[in-house]
Amino acid sequence: MSQVALITGGGGGIGGAVARRMAAGGIAVVIADYDGQAAKKVKDEIVGAGGAADAFALDVTVAHKVKTLVTDVEKCFGRIDILANIAGGSAYTKRIEELTWAQWKEVMDVNLKGTFLMCREVAPIMQRQKSGRIINTASNYGVTGSALRTPYAAAKAGIITFTKSLALELAPDSVLANTVAPGPTDTPRVMEKESAEARRGRWWPNIPLGRTAVPQDLAEMYYFLTTPESAAITGQTFHVNGGVVMP
Amino acid sequence: MRLKDKVAVVTGGAQGIGRAVALGMGREGAQVVVADLQAEKAQSVANELRALGAEAAAIEVNVANESSVQRMAKSTLERFGRADILVNVAGIYYPKASVVELSEEDWDRTIDINVGSNFLCCREFVPAMRAQQSGRIISLASGIGHYGMRQFAHYAASKAAVIGFVKALAREVGPDGITVNAICPGSANTSMPRQHRSEEEVMARLRATPLPHVLEPEDIAGPILFLASAAAAYITGQSYNINSGSYMF
Repeated sequence: MSQVALITGGGGGIGGAVARRMAAGGIAVVIADYDGQAAKKVKDEIVGAGGAADAFALDVTVAHKVKTLVTDVEKCFGRIDILANIAGGSAYTKRIEELTWAQWKEVMDVNLKGTFLMCREVAPIMQRQKSGRIINTASNYGVTGSALRTPYAAAKAGIITFTKSLALELAPDSVLANTVAPGPTDTPRVMEKESAEARRGRWWPNIPLGRTAVPQDLAEMYYFLTTPESAAITGQTFHVNGGVVMP
Repeated sequence: MRLKDKVAVVTGGAQGIGRAVALGMGREGAQVVVADLQAEKAQSVANELRALGAEAAAIEVNVANESSVQRMAKSTLERFGRADILVNVAGIYYPKASVVELSEEDWDRTIDINVGSNFLCCREFVPAMRAQQSGRIISLASGIGHYGMRQFAHYAASKAAVIGFVKALAREVGPDGITVNAICPGSANTSMPRQHRSEEEVMARLRATPLPHVLEPEDIAGPILFLASAAAAYITGQSYNINSGSYMF
């Protein structure tokens, strides 16, 4: 029987690439995204290529919706081997005095609280299985900070340490939890905000490998963290960023 | 086969983690140079590789000796015509000594073998990789390079130096399509920890990790194979911990 992965943010740039990579590796993928249409599009693509996939709309910040989805997925597939929490983002670039309390909470919720809620529902299933891989998503900004992104950097730093704590908690049951920290990545969402040329000019000279990431670069790391080759790795943070940050 | 037709040089390839890396590279289709001070053991790993169907050569090298490293690089490039992957595994751990009791000779020896080797080997292979505009360098550091260990200041300093060296070289050769990364293993089930602990102590420590998983050489080799593969093209200057959860940096 194939492994089952639940991927939040699976309709987005990185999440979609992760879903496709895992499906290509023979994993059945359940794609959850705030944008249900985007999730369905990735699902159709995977199924069209001969993979196994399902898609759902999900707001990861709403506890009862998370609980219902995880219960349904376990009922339907019988197990959850992999949880990739990719839903998140930095909706605002604002000076601290211009940020409202609601905006602060929105960014903290979609990144950090969503990760917590998903892990809270999926971890007991993996503990019962005595196996599982949780892969959370931070950012290089979670280590370096970033002007005009105080809530995003705080949330991503929170995810790194949340994941370490969770890893220690789940290790006795052979459930692994790690963090992937992407650097500048060309996703449709960021490419909408800036021309490709401006983005190149801003980033490329500062990156040792001389380019920004494509989502596939990240997807390979998420996939690696599902394989037997990473069986001894837990609580770690994997920066995939072309060398722009070397913590 | 993720490394088909690649040429991989593994220093310290005769035993432990180095041997697991060399065999893993061979299984993935690479042609492997097993470079080690222990010529006979290196030869037997090369024989194991040939039995797996991989092309292999054993080359005797002292990684802390400039001319020896130059000879090793020269014969690698003469025989295989290229070098795509360099894995710096060769290193030493012993002696155990407090800083005030450590001799200058032991200090020099540890630093030279553990990090001087990285300089000497990279200096010889980077030009070939640069000419190809591609290459992968992976160096063995250690969790001890991050968190230190009493009576092993020399070892801790040498492994922290590997991490710094890797970051600097990654910046230097990134524009040439060469990635440079470090792997920081926790204590693994090899001969190294047995140099100063009883078998019972070693196994008790190996079992004391958060994850109930005794760290084997293959656990370290797997991530190294990943970093050597096309899948890791965008990763450079990083130091990844592989330690069954014993340390999270």
